[in-house]
Amino acid sequence: MRTSAISHQLSAKCRFLALLGMALFIVMGWALAQERPVVLKGGKLLTITHGVIENGTLVMQGGKITSVGAADSVTVPGGAQIVDVTGMTVYPGLIDSETNLGLTEILVERMTNDLVEMSDEIMPHMHTAEAFHAESTLIPVARMNGITNAVVAPSSEDTLPGQDSFIQLAGASATEMLLIRDNAMPLNFTGEERRNKGGFEKQKFPATRMGLAAQLRQTFVDAQDYKAKWADYDHKKTDAARDKKPEPLAPKRDLKLEALVPYLEGKKTIVLAAESPSDLETAVNLANEFKLKFVLNHISHSQPVLDYVGKLMVPVIVGPIYEAPRPEERYDTVYSLPAQLYQRGVKIAFASYSAHEVRNLPYQAGYATAFGLPHEEALKAITINPAEIWGVADRLGSLDTGKTANVVVANGDPLDVKTDVKKVFVEGREVPMTSRQVWLRDQYSK
Amino acid sequence: MRSIEKSALRLVWVAVVLAQAAAFGQASSSAAHGDVLIKNAMVMTVTHGNITNGAIYIKDGKIAAVGADIHAPDGAAVIDADGKYVTPGIVDSHSHIALDDDINEATSPITPQMMMKDAFDYQDKAIYRALAGGVTTSLLLHGSANMIGGQAVVIKHKYGTSRDEMLFPNAPRSIKFASGENPKRVYGARDQLPSTRMGNFAVQREALVQAQEYMREWDNYNEKVKRGDKDATPPKHDLKLEALADVLRGKLMVQIHIYRADEMLTEIAMAKEFGYKIRAFHHALEAYKVPEKLAAENIAIATFADWWGYKQEAWDAIPWNAVMAMRKGVRVAIKSDSEDYTRRLNQEAAKTMRYGGATEEEALKMITLNAAWIVGVDDRVGSIDVGKDADIVIWNGYPLSSYGVPEKVLIDGEVYFDRSLPGLGTTHYKEGK
Repeated sequence: MRTSAISHQLSAKCRFLALLGMALFIVMGWALAQERPVVLKGGKLLTITHGVIENGTLVMQGGKITSVGAADSVTVPGGAQIVDVTGMTVYPGLIDSETNLGLTEILVERMTNDLVEMSDEIMPHMHTAEAFHAESTLIPVARMNGITNAVVAPSSEDTLPGQDSFIQLAGASATEMLLIRDNAMPLNFTGEERRNKGGFEKQKFPATRMGLAAQLRQTFVDAQDYKAKWADYDHKKTDAARDKKPEPLAPKRDLKLEALVPYLEGKKTIVLAAESPSDLETAVNLANEFKLKFVLNHISHSQPVLDYVGKLMVPVIVGPIYEAPRPEERYDTVYSLPAQLYQRGVKIAFASYSAHEVRNLPYQAGYATAFGLPHEEALKAITINPAEIWGVADRLGSLDTGKTANVVVANGDPLDVKTDVKKVFVEGREVPMTSRQVWLRDQYSK
Repeated sequence: MRSIEKSALRLVWVAVVLAQAAAFGQASSSAAHGDVLIKNAMVMTVTHGNITNGAIYIKDGKIAAVGADIHAPDGAAVIDADGKYVTPGIVDSHSHIALDDDINEATSPITPQMMMKDAFDYQDKAIYRALAGGVTTSLLLHGSANMIGGQAVVIKHKYGTSRDEMLFPNAPRSIKFASGENPKRVYGARDQLPSTRMGNFAVQREALVQAQEYMREWDNYNEKVKRGDKDATPPKHDLKLEALADVLRGKLMVQIHIYRADEMLTEIAMAKEFGYKIRAFHHALEAYKVPEKLAAENIAIATFADWWGYKQEAWDAIPWNAVMAMRKGVRVAIKSDSEDYTRRLNQEAAKTMRYGGATEEEALKMITLNAAWIVGVDDRVGSIDVGKDADIVIWNGYPLSSYGVPEKVLIDGEVYFDRSLPGLGTTHYKEGK
């Protein structure tokens, strides 16, 4: 009884928080498209793809960037709202390549979390899109610092915890905010997934890396068989239709295996997480065995094999660079990893790997420059690089004509901790610069 | 950096090491070694502004002179900090590193007799990694499972020296109190007291009442002895109550882990009830709700720049907390509470310039002088002033940004970290030693 009373109270509290979050989040009329053209005039434009334009002008119309260039070269459409951004820096909305946004409110309050299923290591049929809480209080907090898009991933306790979503951090509801459902699937192989390792008396399969790898291999073999069974069925069904014979019996659907088929076909991206060289190589071999299309994730302790990583010709979601070095490693071993990957020609992207700290994403890129990554590349790693990695470079990641008008205006260098973001536009519309935190600040500033 | 400069720096380093070697074998753990002159630097003093092209002369481990026009005697090792920034060493006023996770004796909610010093693992690499981030002094505190966790230890990050050399000499003693969710979660999960905030405070009050009685027993005994009563039997020495008695005697500085504003008010009332002072509220994420109350009691806060939402009592955390409290007269420090963030407290402090508009000096103060005050060592570290310990960081760029990184870190006038060195960059620590 006691427990249920507590959980009752908790869920009441959660409902209250959710309502409060919603009240602050909902933007009246958000579902409507941008009505009036907006012109940002006189700013320093960090276009990402074609350099920096000092004293530039950017036009947003119908939710898209319709013109960008030097102030004197851009035609201002009639009836436009002109915003003077002289002295400001203008850049594309930032993209966080791994977050838990919308899956958690308060980390230690279990009922506010939908981070991962712990009943099995193999959960590819979990869809973060189906738990994504659009009204999360955390989203405006992140958005106010210029993060407009993010990958939402389940947390990493399982080898196959479920599928990611690619979101926009503003919208009338989850439907508008979920730009791509099931855009990718994490495959975690860091050793941390061995939750059954315990003592011998407690061990359950899979308890070792061998067990995890064997379980994964069996799963992908099963998925191959499953795919073949359905291909065979489709084939027979076509034949039956042609020969006017009764339809064959359909195989039984298996949601786990079904979820894996697009990945086996190379149609979607596996996000392959490993930390140390041995895990990295095992994971890569496994992915290659099943011809999976993959990008790498973390690899924080793989410095000895960076040449090997370079030859794989795949992007790396790197870090977080704040991961502690191993005891024998120099203090800056992980800080300098992005620079070392860049030097080997690897395309990198940064991720906050967080929900509450998403707003701090640009500072990780900034700190990587303090350890050798060129500033321009650091900026790319939170804009155009992730846009390319997640297959949205045609609409996001740079200030280019034709792209979605996700645009940030700040009073300086986007990667510096002191820089204050002044305006955020999503699909050409200015998002109110407010959050529960701003509300609290104002309550107590009176 | 050009390679010529690099080798010059290397030479300076060698000079410093030789000077140290000459002094080796002396019994004193204080820095008895050669003089050092740091010149051509942007010196950020914290207490009296920035000095462009400034210099610091260090003698016997102390700052002997600071200014624009300083001349060192011949033979002083010279560090040419051309174009670089120099700040006091960072003080982390809330850390749990180097304790091998032995931070909570969570077998009773009142354990004031637990001495952090007994668990201090002076070889922990976290000390080195913080040093490389510019931290020279840390207050190592207990965790917050217990309402009264135990007595803290203050260290200097002289990585590679002995355990005793790393203890901050004659630092005041601090004791860690807690409140809120953590004690009630730990003991509540076992169906023990405390499982509510009422229980938390009742346990704390009960312990303090016991300490009062203990003091009375000893006072009575001492009185009898004084009167010449040969039959007087002394009360039992109880380390737990002895420690609490020291709280009541004002001999231990009280550092309280606390989140909510209402609990801050209760702790203030409790301190008045028993007549002790609270040195600082740690975390203090809701200080912005009651800043005047804290300022009136001269209670400092050691807070985060922008952490929030990890638990219910951190739900009202806002990044403007530090500056809002400061503007109402509260002494504010930014601390790490983390093996990770202690490595880049300069960036955390810089966030206060953005959230609320702290000045550069105010921001820097939050990780130096104000933090030193919380630890009780502000008369010895935390600013670049004559007579203070020569705990100094030389940065390759502006430290209150995403980009500044320490190049050299000096403690008591000796270089302990030098980024240009191969391996770990340490001068005293040798792998496998």
